[in-house]
Amino acid sequence: MLFISHVIKTNLKEKETDMNRLLSALFTGLLAVFAFQGSSMAQDAGNSGTEKQIQYEALSPWADVDPIPMRGISPRLDSLKGKKIGLYVNTKRAAMPMAKSVDKRLKEMYPDIQTTIFQSTEPNVNEIETKNKEKFTAWVNDIDAAILLVGD
Amino acid sequence: MLLANVGFVNDAHSAASSKGMPGIRVIGETVPCESTIIADIEEGVAAAMKDAVDALVRPLTAEEKSPKQQTGKSPRVAFKGTLQEINQFFYRKGWGDGLPIIPPTEAAVAEMLKGTDLPPDHIMGKIIPRKGKATIEKIAINAVMAGALPTHMPVLIATVEAFSDPKARFDTFEVSTGSWAPSLTINGPIRRDIHVNSGSGSLSPGNIANSAIGRAVGLIVKNIGGARKAIEDMGVIGNPGKYSLVIGEDEENSPWEPLSVERGFTKEDNTVTVFFPNSFTQTVPGGTDAKGILNTLVTMGTTSMSSVILIPSWAKVLAGEGYTKQKVKDYIAEHSKPVVISGFEEVTNPAKMDTENLMILVAGGPGSFIGLLKSVGPGFFNNALVTKKIVLPKDWNKLVAKYGNLVPIYERY
Repeated sequence: MLFISHVIKTNLKEKETDMNRLLSALFTGLLAVFAFQGSSMAQDAGNSGTEKQIQYEALSPWADVDPIPMRGISPRLDSLKGKKIGLYVNTKRAAMPMAKSVDKRLKEMYPDIQTTIFQSTEPNVNEIETKNKEKFTAWVNDIDAAILLVGD
Repeated sequence: MLLANVGFVNDAHSAASSKGMPGIRVIGETVPCESTIIADIEEGVAAAMKDAVDALVRPLTAEEKSPKQQTGKSPRVAFKGTLQEINQFFYRKGWGDGLPIIPPTEAAVAEMLKGTDLPPDHIMGKIIPRKGKATIEKIAINAVMAGALPTHMPVLIATVEAFSDPKARFDTFEVSTGSWAPSLTINGPIRRDIHVNSGSGSLSPGNIANSAIGRAVGLIVKNIGGARKAIEDMGVIGNPGKYSLVIGEDEENSPWEPLSVERGFTKEDNTVTVFFPNSFTQTVPGGTDAKGILNTLVTMGTTSMSSVILIPSWAKVLAGEGYTKQKVKDYIAEHSKPVVISGFEEVTNPAKMDTENLMILVAGGPGSFIGLLKSVGPGFFNNALVTKKIVLPKDWNKLVAKYGNLVPIYERY
């Protein structure tokens, strides 16, 4: 192990001059970050301002996105009386009992309300991208409003 | 309208916005997540019903009717200031990971871009949930922040390509409550060029390649994909692997073919294999013969989407007793009990457990421990291991000459 270490050391010395400037800057920078963070409280308390600090211009890491067509949500109902409400249930285990609870309460509040439950079968996939696309589309077209229950 | 647990309201709004419907009404409820207790469910639903009904009948606002179009572009230069000011600005913007960053200056990013022949505006994919455009430049910016080297760029680019592969199910794993972390296994000669540790302490801090590549991946996920902790990334417990979970296979000390060859590449190809485990466990084998090692792998709960990390000496024991990688997998599959997740019986479908996505990896140093990174699948999310070829720039050798001698030298004390 010592021999290997010696060889690596030797190689490092030989090649040190080839080291890229950026590399030096990166590590100098990293050390400086630790130094600055370590002393940040002291600086905040009373930096004399006499020490000239290097200014950097940092590029944004935040990605651009393509503009997507914005859509408003559907017009609201005047009342739920006599309406057909769809309850969409995802694959999480609490979703279905929640839907049943919502269903029961809606019927208590609006005795003439109709409800229909759609159970998703594929976790975390847009319903219209699943094998249930047609069934789902038909379900959506048959309701006046929807409540989504995701179990989380 | 959507009924979601109060802790998921922000997540729901982000999801709706990313699909172009920011106005969707989300009502927070207090049902304990994934509850199996009917009384708790009834109580939580009852408390939310008034607001739920209101959300269906309250007239729309102008913004809900016709949401404003957003440009989706951010200024190229984010901030000018000292090292400390930049670090604090980035941290407050939510662009960091809690550790200091290297300022991604024009010069530093230009140097990072030497790690690829692709142009800076080339888009490797759109990373969910925000569908951020993963341009080569944005990958490089996040790589600089993480302290990665230009020689790491090819791995990062291939990793982003893997994330964009639907089979990886990055869309689910990266934001899931399960706190799955991206695991990268690197194969091929590049491991030596960039000093990916595949020996002692491979998954511990201390090697730039293993540490900075994983860290850069985490920043890419956050800043390009827009998966921010507790906003879109809803990992409940979290996962230290999200800082970095990068390992190389110790091909030189393995008696078997490398993972890359198993996955259809040649030994000369450089590859990265991606999956998303959420747990890591280690144990000593119950015995040091083949059966002792194999039975330990079974009792560790190896799933069909796992990475078994065998030290070279155990791999040699197994090979010596006639076990190939496939025979090891077959043994595990034959003797393991099916994994069934309560409430998800229909999608876990244990009868279909297979070995296609089970990795047997040779790595680690002297000692006795066996490592196991566990995930779920492929039945769960229709997910699979994804392996992508790492493409090197034409001046790779020059780049390696610049950075290749950067290794830690520990002195005796």
